[in-house]
Amino acid sequence: MSIDLTLVGQFVVFITMLLLMKKMLYVPLNDAMEARTKKIEAGLAAADAGLEAKAKADAEAVLQLDAAKSKAQEIVSAAERRAAEVKEEAVVKARLEAASIVDAGKEELASEVGRAKQDLREEVAGIALQVAEKIVGVELDAKRHTSLIDATIAKGFDVHE
Amino acid sequence: MAAEEHSTGIAGHLQYWTYSFQQDLPVDERNPFMQIHIDTMLVTGFVACLILFFSAWLKGRIVEGAPTGAQNAVESVVGFVNDTVRDNFPVHNPLIAPLALTIFVFIFLCNFFDILPAYLLGHIAEGLGAPAFRPVPTNDLNLPVAMALVVFAMVLYYEFKLKPIHFMKDLLLQPFASLLLDSKNPVVKLLGVVLIPLNLTLKLIEELAKPLSLSFRLFGNMFAGEVIFLLIASLLLVDNMHDLMSVSGVISEIIGFVIGLGWSLFHMFIGLLQAFIFMILTVVYLSIAHQPVEH
Repeated sequence: MSIDLTLVGQFVVFITMLLLMKKMLYVPLNDAMEARTKKIEAGLAAADAGLEAKAKADAEAVLQLDAAKSKAQEIVSAAERRAAEVKEEAVVKARLEAASIVDAGKEELASEVGRAKQDLREEVAGIALQVAEKIVGVELDAKRHTSLIDATIAKGFDVHE
Repeated sequence: MAAEEHSTGIAGHLQYWTYSFQQDLPVDERNPFMQIHIDTMLVTGFVACLILFFSAWLKGRIVEGAPTGAQNAVESVVGFVNDTVRDNFPVHNPLIAPLALTIFVFIFLCNFFDILPAYLLGHIAEGLGAPAFRPVPTNDLNLPVAMALVVFAMVLYYEFKLKPIHFMKDLLLQPFASLLLDSKNPVVKLLGVVLIPLNLTLKLIEELAKPLSLSFRLFGNMFAGEVIFLLIASLLLVDNMHDLMSVSGVISEIIGFVIGLGWSLFHMFIGLLQAFIFMILTVVYLSIAHQPVEH
């Protein structure tokens, strides 16, 4: 246990090693570690920004979904209103068509009645003529017969009607 | 008789392989400073070369991405040292962390040689013609003192560089500064001046205690550890092969092996702890030197 020239040698060894270790090991390793730390910090910041953007997009999506739902509700309501209107219009139109059909039927019926009356009148005149011929035995002038029959029928029908 | 032989063996093992630069003078007339411990120089040189070759090898393989293998292990140590310095150092100084790393790694690797069997390197060196060989360089006071003096020189340098007036005031006037600075009585002021040499002495003792405690703590722990290793190893020492194969010989071998193994593990922990203590005290002393002056 003595202090001797080994001390000087140890000075040299230690200081040389300190300088070389700083240059060859510590600085390059520390630089790599710092670069990695910066990269990780940048990645974490980007991840945070991504999460923030996602949260924003989620909130935006919820808003848009709500807006779309209310718009769809409006469209459905409008469609229901329009369907009710169309139904009402169809009912009114059907009623009008039914009324016109009824009117047309009535007109046709009236004309059919008139035509039946005319036919009946002609048949009655013929029958009356035949009857008169048989009773009177005289053949009457056709023109005169006709006027007589018409007058008779008119009188007769007026009485019955 | 056997105990005497063992103690002679232990004392012999505690000798250094020494070369004197005054070979032409008789041994009694030689200056004890003019010699060098070849074993200490060889082992520290070997450790330094090992560290530097490893550093050069690793430098070409450093990646900025996820580290693996050796880089991962060294980064753990560098990260630990960086954290220790960051926690204890008030300002940024690019030399402190490399210094702390060098001290920690160098002392730990030097202490690690203690794990080798106590007499192994001594017997090998003896076989090669060396008179003695001590494998653990931290057992040699020269290495701890050299490192402690480097730290001490750095502390003084930063004290003078960063706060010269405060340091000089501290050196000359503490702890009796108030006598000279605050008192208006000329007699008390004179007393303050008279006490300057005492202040200086006290402060010098305080400052010199730092490198002394730093070096002797490491040296004492490692030296005591080595002596205990040698004592444990001496449990195995028997006079001849017949004794070695006897019942008592086998028992002493088993006891020696178990105790030696336990002490090896404990001493490795002590070696690691001493490396850490030397490193942390270096950082603390330099941190004190960098502390701003309080008004």
